[in-house]
Amino acid sequence: MSKREWLDFVDRLINEDEMEVIGVRAKGSKFQFAPIDSSEELRLDYNVTILPPKKQLLPPHEDLMTYDISKPFNVLSSKDEGKKILIGVHPYDVIAIQQMDEIYLGTHRDEHYDARRKNTLIIASDILNVPERSFSGSLGTHVVEDGFDLLITDLGDMVAVTIGTKEGEELLNTFAEPGEATDEDEMKVKRLRDELPAKYQRKLKVDKYQWEKLLEENYDHPIWEENSKKCLTCGSCTLVCPTCFCYDVEDVMNINMKEGKRVRTWDGCLLRDFTLVAGGEVFREDLKDRYRHRYYRKGLFLPMRNGFVACVGCGRCATQCLPDIADPCDVINTLASYSMHEKVNFPIPDVKQAGIEEGLLVPEPATIVKKERMTELETLYEIKLDSGKELGHKPGQFIELSIFGIGEAPISVSSSPGGMTFELLVRRIGHVTNKLESLEVGEKIGIRGPFGNGFDVKDLEGKDILFVSGGCGLAPTRSLINYVMEHRDDFGRVTILYGCKDPKAILFDRDLRSWGDVKDVTVKRTVDSCPDGECWDGDVGLITTLIPPLDMDPENTIGIVVGPPIMYKFVIKELKAKKIPDDNIIVSLERRMKCGVGKCGHCQMNGIYVCLEGPVFKYNDVKDIPEAF
Amino acid sequence: MKPKVAFFDFASCEGCQLEVINLEEKIIDLIDVVEIVSFREAMKEHSDEYDIAFIEGSIQRPMDEERLKKIRGNAKILVALGACACIGGVNKLRNEWSVDNVKEEVYGDADIEGNKLFDAFPTKAINEVVDVDFYIPGCPINKVEFAKVVSHLAIGKTPQLPNYPVCVECKKNENICVFELGKFCLGPVTRAGCNAICPQFQDGCEGCRGFLEDPKMEAQKDVLRKYGIRLDDMMKRFNMFNYKKGVY
Repeated sequence: MSKREWLDFVDRLINEDEMEVIGVRAKGSKFQFAPIDSSEELRLDYNVTILPPKKQLLPPHEDLMTYDISKPFNVLSSKDEGKKILIGVHPYDVIAIQQMDEIYLGTHRDEHYDARRKNTLIIASDILNVPERSFSGSLGTHVVEDGFDLLITDLGDMVAVTIGTKEGEELLNTFAEPGEATDEDEMKVKRLRDELPAKYQRKLKVDKYQWEKLLEENYDHPIWEENSKKCLTCGSCTLVCPTCFCYDVEDVMNINMKEGKRVRTWDGCLLRDFTLVAGGEVFREDLKDRYRHRYYRKGLFLPMRNGFVACVGCGRCATQCLPDIADPCDVINTLASYSMHEKVNFPIPDVKQAGIEEGLLVPEPATIVKKERMTELETLYEIKLDSGKELGHKPGQFIELSIFGIGEAPISVSSSPGGMTFELLVRRIGHVTNKLESLEVGEKIGIRGPFGNGFDVKDLEGKDILFVSGGCGLAPTRSLINYVMEHRDDFGRVTILYGCKDPKAILFDRDLRSWGDVKDVTVKRTVDSCPDGECWDGDVGLITTLIPPLDMDPENTIGIVVGPPIMYKFVIKELKAKKIPDDNIIVSLERRMKCGVGKCGHCQMNGIYVCLEGPVFKYNDVKDIPEAF
Repeated sequence: MKPKVAFFDFASCEGCQLEVINLEEKIIDLIDVVEIVSFREAMKEHSDEYDIAFIEGSIQRPMDEERLKKIRGNAKILVALGACACIGGVNKLRNEWSVDNVKEEVYGDADIEGNKLFDAFPTKAINEVVDVDFYIPGCPINKVEFAKVVSHLAIGKTPQLPNYPVCVECKKNENICVFELGKFCLGPVTRAGCNAICPQFQDGCEGCRGFLEDPKMEAQKDVLRKYGIRLDDMMKRFNMFNYKKGVY
């Protein structure tokens, strides 16, 4: 169509009340996607926008749900279902949106993203001016074949339109009267695309299929340390990225203390608190590790998980990074020139999980039916889902516990599967768990889950089982111990070792004693120290001291280790000394499991999502993962 | 029972309390949740019985210290309101000179000898005098953040300040980086929470909310150097709200 016809088409779309037209327009000397009032504002000659069009599908701030805490359980999912048309999306951003679709619409489909995506049409545009820092020409993301509804090519006096979908075709035929493209028009479009790569100032020395190998061989490359020293840790590189999808969630109350909302906001792995858990531990404290993680995630971990390099070469990160250390093109080229050739493997355990179809982010109502104080810090709660359904968990899985107005916390389930209620042992350590303590029996909480990979009980049948639990680690372990006790004949000898700080900190003492009364079950309890005058009938000393005296058949014994992060290394060393093969050791690890469904990114250990592939792992699967122990 | 709240001011412009009043109709919601028993800028009544004390201003004199300690004794929760209370703010700039020099500069020949109103010592942030439970930083405070802290206190959630720099809010707002406008900015080392209000209006951040817990000062200085900022201009900007004896 002619340029005039194109502009008329755009204006007709703008005049349509049903939909909002978001186009590329100038912002000062830069460009942004924003609502346009007239086709004249549209700037197809732009190089790159400050933020990618991702913001229309996953906004920087987004209400997930609203609630009224003056009522027992009053929660409403917020969904944005307004119709939108994005005009001027460059090919690299189209590909980035395809990647976002893969993440948010794949396993555990995100209903909030889905609602926006379904109602958004994309009119892509071929690149006229190559962004200065872009290297999409080297990644092949400067052109695109699908992922758009319409694709336009501005040929000066003419605009060529490529139809991508039926919806796009319908839109075109409803609001314009396009003529057939001639062979000459098609040649012009082809020439424009063919000539693009030569216009890039920045080029990768290696193709994208070599990123994975380069990263595998350079985990300890000096570039991570050197560049991270210049890093402001401002997070800009992740925040402007069209393929970054990590998020945080926060509860915000109105000042009247009645209504509130749960808000999703962009988060990024460069920021320190990204891996902070209640209790204060930061799992990626060293800036070098955070700086490196971003490259590994884009170039190795996400390709391993999803089959694509999670970088489209738009160059936004490089443009925004003040010290200029965020450019993947520079970093990959450096690795290609000076490779360390020291291969590290980052295997991702293959865990099959059924996708959660409904209520991914919105909790369901549940009631506290019993509350029992265990120690100064810990309380055991018995919870019943208001739906009357069973929780349906496997031993070792966790749930997300919600208190509206406060937030969510991941808690492992302490009771064995089945039954109309389930138990949670909660340590008062953060906002949610502190607030929970003030709730009474009969009060409502929210539950999402169960999530994660639990213990595979079938794998354990016929085996001797050695449980080694420290502190709160008994909470998830108890769910499996109870299962084993309920199916006692299916398992061999059972040994339960439990250690905690002092006699006052002991958890489930009644259970520990009753398990000890069962046939062929040995229970040993120890405390790190016992203050004078304290009554104590167990051992004194670290939990590791309980292992050497044990009599066991190592080949037929499964060691199940759950405890504070510091415990694993020492306990596993003792188990190895007893000749228990690595293959027979199972661990459960803790990270910041915020969403529970492999999206928010907080719980990652290198390429592993602890909320998906864990928290229960075969030791063999994680022993070589640098961030695991 | 609603918690009782009181506002107090020391050396300050009272602009932070004004921001509280600027909540306008939301104040009605606020007094549904808390009972305001003392707020000189907004009401006549006063009471010494309160649970939460909001303190604006920095501490200049022994009589201020005494008064602040008394407030601390009365309050269950004490909150620093604004840059002057939280970090000393612009009032701390005078600590570059001796108190005598400052008095001479300000009061000249006026007879202030022995008058305890003029009995100044180097400026202190309030946490240099008493324990502070929570901080609402900024010059002035962000009223949205104030409302958030109050709602957190009312619902029993520990208020927490953002532990990331202003850049995060700039990016979320799609601001043009002010460095690209030829201006300089302390956003990369300054605690967010202001919604990047200055860069939003094309002005560089001056650090009024105080620096992050672990600010990357060397990286920030490298960036300023790269953009051609002279060392003394850099130090002036660093010191404006975050005065430090010696060199940053």
